[in-house]
Amino acid sequence: MTSQQVIVTEDLTKTYSANDVPVYALRGINLTIAAGEFTAIVGPSGSGKTTFLNIISGLDQPTEGKVWLSKELISNMNGRQLSDFRRDNIGFIFQAYNLIPVLTVGENIEYIMLLQGIPKIERHQRVVDILEVVGLAGYIDRKPPQLSGGQQQRVAIARAMVSQPTIILADEPTANLDSKTGSELLEMMYQLNKKTGMTFVFSTHDQAVMDRAQRLITLKDGLIDSDNMQE
Amino acid sequence: MMLKIALRNTLRQKRRTILTSLAMIVGFTLLSFSIGLSDGSYSFVINMFTRNRLGHIQVHHRGYLDKPSLYATINNYQAVGQTIQNVKEVETWTPRIYSVGLGSIGEKSTAIEVVGIDAVREIMATQFDKKIISGRSLSSIPAKESILGKGLAEILKADIDQEIMIVSQGADGSIANDIYTVVGVVDSGDPLRDRMSCYLHIKDAQEFFVLEGRIHEIAVIVSDLSKVSKVTERIKVKLSNSSLAIAPWQEFAKSFYQAMQVDQQGMWIALFIIILVVAVGVLNAVLMSVLERTREYGMLKAVGTKPRQIFWLVLYEVNIIALASVVIGTILALGFPLSTLINYLLAINGIAFPEISYGGMKFQTALYVEVNARSIYIPAITIVVSAMTVSLFPALKAALVTPAKAMRTH
Repeated sequence: MTSQQVIVTEDLTKTYSANDVPVYALRGINLTIAAGEFTAIVGPSGSGKTTFLNIISGLDQPTEGKVWLSKELISNMNGRQLSDFRRDNIGFIFQAYNLIPVLTVGENIEYIMLLQGIPKIERHQRVVDILEVVGLAGYIDRKPPQLSGGQQQRVAIARAMVSQPTIILADEPTANLDSKTGSELLEMMYQLNKKTGMTFVFSTHDQAVMDRAQRLITLKDGLIDSDNMQE
Repeated sequence: MMLKIALRNTLRQKRRTILTSLAMIVGFTLLSFSIGLSDGSYSFVINMFTRNRLGHIQVHHRGYLDKPSLYATINNYQAVGQTIQNVKEVETWTPRIYSVGLGSIGEKSTAIEVVGIDAVREIMATQFDKKIISGRSLSSIPAKESILGKGLAEILKADIDQEIMIVSQGADGSIANDIYTVVGVVDSGDPLRDRMSCYLHIKDAQEFFVLEGRIHEIAVIVSDLSKVSKVTERIKVKLSNSSLAIAPWQEFAKSFYQAMQVDQQGMWIALFIIILVVAVGVLNAVLMSVLERTREYGMLKAVGTKPRQIFWLVLYEVNIIALASVVIGTILALGFPLSTLINYLLAINGIAFPEISYGGMKFQTALYVEVNARSIYIPAITIVVSAMTVSLFPALKAALVTPAKAMRTH
């Protein structure tokens, strides 16, 4: 694994059991994603996109195979180690935003930094800065239910990026948004990727994301069907 | 932050929070009321039994309670009584003499228990005069008068102003016999005792039994029933007389005390049922809340929240509701005008209750409510602890969600 490689998988296999019948979600994925890539993982429903994303983010364990993230072998980590690793190295963007509705925008963004033990003054400064970046300056005291879907996803992006993780994993981040808002957010993430050098990995059905992605990996029946770098 | 989330979560589903809180408040109030009612009624019955008859504390010659004897006397009882009177929280004391004899009126004779009492002190201590159902009380000075128990008067077919002849044995070994005028009939509420009791002035009794200056018992009345043990210890220290035995009512009326204790177990069963009902309601609410937020807990774990932090998040929520309910319940129990009025009315008038009996003794009584510290802190602790206990399972469930799986839930 070179210093440029942030995600490496080796013979990644995931098998579920449904009514005692084995279901093969991933059938030996070997993949390397370099630092700073803007990668989209696509494929039909059931192709293994979400399972792949869950395993490389440490939310799920592979049945077989290995996963390295930022040179750390996460497939061997226990729950506590994975929890700390996710907190410090991975930013999540979810399809349904998954903000904490009772916390303000500022508090939602601050939450992970609080878990990391970052001092209050620094937390506040980072919140103000990132809200400026995502175009929500002045929204710090609003609560998620007071925001539109696009605004909520911007908050989710801010939350994912504010702790300065190595990788941002986004599961269908534009699926709940109209195409215009989705495109705007996609463009914003693309610019942030260029500016910060953070690695973005998307799981998506959205053609706009596929078009914008620097690399397009297609999964089919738990295997890599195609893996193309795009202009 | 977890406390902040918990606090705001309680306001998220206001209706559910209000219902959960209401269950706790109702539970608290019921517990408080049950304990208050139980304590009030037991205090009343105990007071009737002790304050009105036996006294809260009794002093005897050592060994008298186990083996009553004419010769086991307290000497110089006036000095002993004065020492007792000076003990803090002692309200009053009264001396008594007990012995047996044969009582006769006309051709009717029966075994009797002669009880020598200080007419004035007995009234102060046990309101003896209020139990007289016909005739009058004994004169304050010895006048060869007697008062008969209701049953004894019936056996001897005694009327007021008739004479009763008593025969017994004096402390000097002589045959004691004398005649006393019946001036009253008393109904003490203890039919067994009333079938035998013949009350004389203590001086008359001392003269009769040749016990000059000596008595068998000092009954002590304290100002607060709950302080009986403390006062007993104080009296023991003050008297420091190895020939005297000082016992609280729990010791000299052991069977009555045990009967009361057994009866109180019934109250705890009722309280347990109330707690169970509240606990099921709380469990239901908390479980629903946790199931609804599974996705949220999944997200919190995904971004690095520790299981124990989520565990406490759920418990904080329950605790906030429980503490708020306890505060509201306490205000309702102590400060709310309607509640105060109800408590006041129950404390003054009680709830009419049929005659009850303990060990053959009959009590025409009422249920009284006693608002004391116990009736507040026991429900408060019980509500918080039971709410916490039933929330352990939902909290654990929330803490152990698998993030990937939890975030797929809707």
